Amino acid sequence: MRLTDISRCKSNKIKMKLSGESKFFIAIAVGTLIMVTIGIFLMSRPAPKLTRAELIPASAATLGNNQAATFLVEFSDFQCPACKTFSSLVKEVVEKNKDNLFFSYRHFPLSQHKLAVPAALAAEAAGEQGKFWEMHDYIFANQESLSEEFLLAAADKLGLDKEKYEKAFKEKIYQDKINKDLSDGTKFGVDSTPTFFLNGEKLNLFSPKDLENAVSKAIKNN
Amino acid sequence: MQKKYNRLVFILSLAGIIVAVYVLQSFVRQSSIICVNQGCELVRKSSYSYPFGIPVPAFGLVGYTLLAILTFLRTTSTSKKLLYPILAIAIFGILFVTWFTYMELFVIRAVCTWCAISAVNMYLIFYLTFRMFNETHRHKSV
Repeated sequence: MRLTDISRCKSNKIKMKLSGESKFFIAIAVGTLIMVTIGIFLMSRPAPKLTRAELIPASAATLGNNQAATFLVEFSDFQCPACKTFSSLVKEVVEKNKDNLFFSYRHFPLSQHKLAVPAALAAEAAGEQGKFWEMHDYIFANQESLSEEFLLAAADKLGLDKEKYEKAFKEKIYQDKINKDLSDGTKFGVDSTPTFFLNGEKLNLFSPKDLENAVSKAIKNN
Repeated sequence: MQKKYNRLVFILSLAGIIVAVYVLQSFVRQSSIICVNQGCELVRKSSYSYPFGIPVPAFGLVGYTLLAILTFLRTTSTSKKLLYPILAIAIFGILFVTWFTYMELFVIRAVCTWCAISAVNMYLIFYLTFRMFNETHRHKSV
């Protein structure tokens, strides 16, 4: 008799401790945990690989061998300092692997960079005359002194047909192309610049060196 | 009312834990943070985000976890003493987020969305805790 009394007492005590409110809190915590777990599970599924056609439209500026199995795409902003850092490295990597790599530059002008769109327009206007990469290099080399006047004056520096260039630049003929790059980038999950896609997969780079390593590895495996 | 406030502080603490864990894993793995603006990356890479060498979200994680535990404990006991540590953490919390928001705005010059969410969250927790504290004290004096 006494034993059962004690045990009843004990169980009452435990029941007393875990009040309805405590249970309510535990339920909230467990519910949150379940939701977070589901969220992590859904988000950690690998993103499907993007196809070459999606990433490199026919009109995009490219370098290297277009028959190469390995393709690298950069979403970049002419006014972003990190893009400048990467631009010289990218050129090196492409130059080193020019037979085995196809590279494409796509525009991702960020809204806080007021001259990123004009610079992209200038590069495309120069591209019309086959000098996209010359303009690309020229803009990055002089990133600190970018201005509309600077971009207009670039025509002389690069030996472009000035009239044609100015018309393309001022009438924003390539604005649609830039917008398409921007919306594609957003669709592909670009959230910062530069963002690279190697063989359709977004790269998480911690240092410029990582890019070189990733490209060498991809070429070796192909 | 007390009960309702305590529930809210608990839920907000859980929300704070989630944000802190997400941001902390980015700090530790050095991976990019999904952010509505570009700010999170700039803030993450700033040395000011490591006071005493400890990543900022770690402070948040500890604070929110303690708050969640303490508010839970309040459901198991009627002791009013539990309110003091909750209030102390909330005060430290708002001082911390105010300091960090100031650093973001005027020193790092970039705002991280998650930090802003956490700052608002901490202010809400402080407000609710303050209300709880006030109520208990009113009851005492009556």
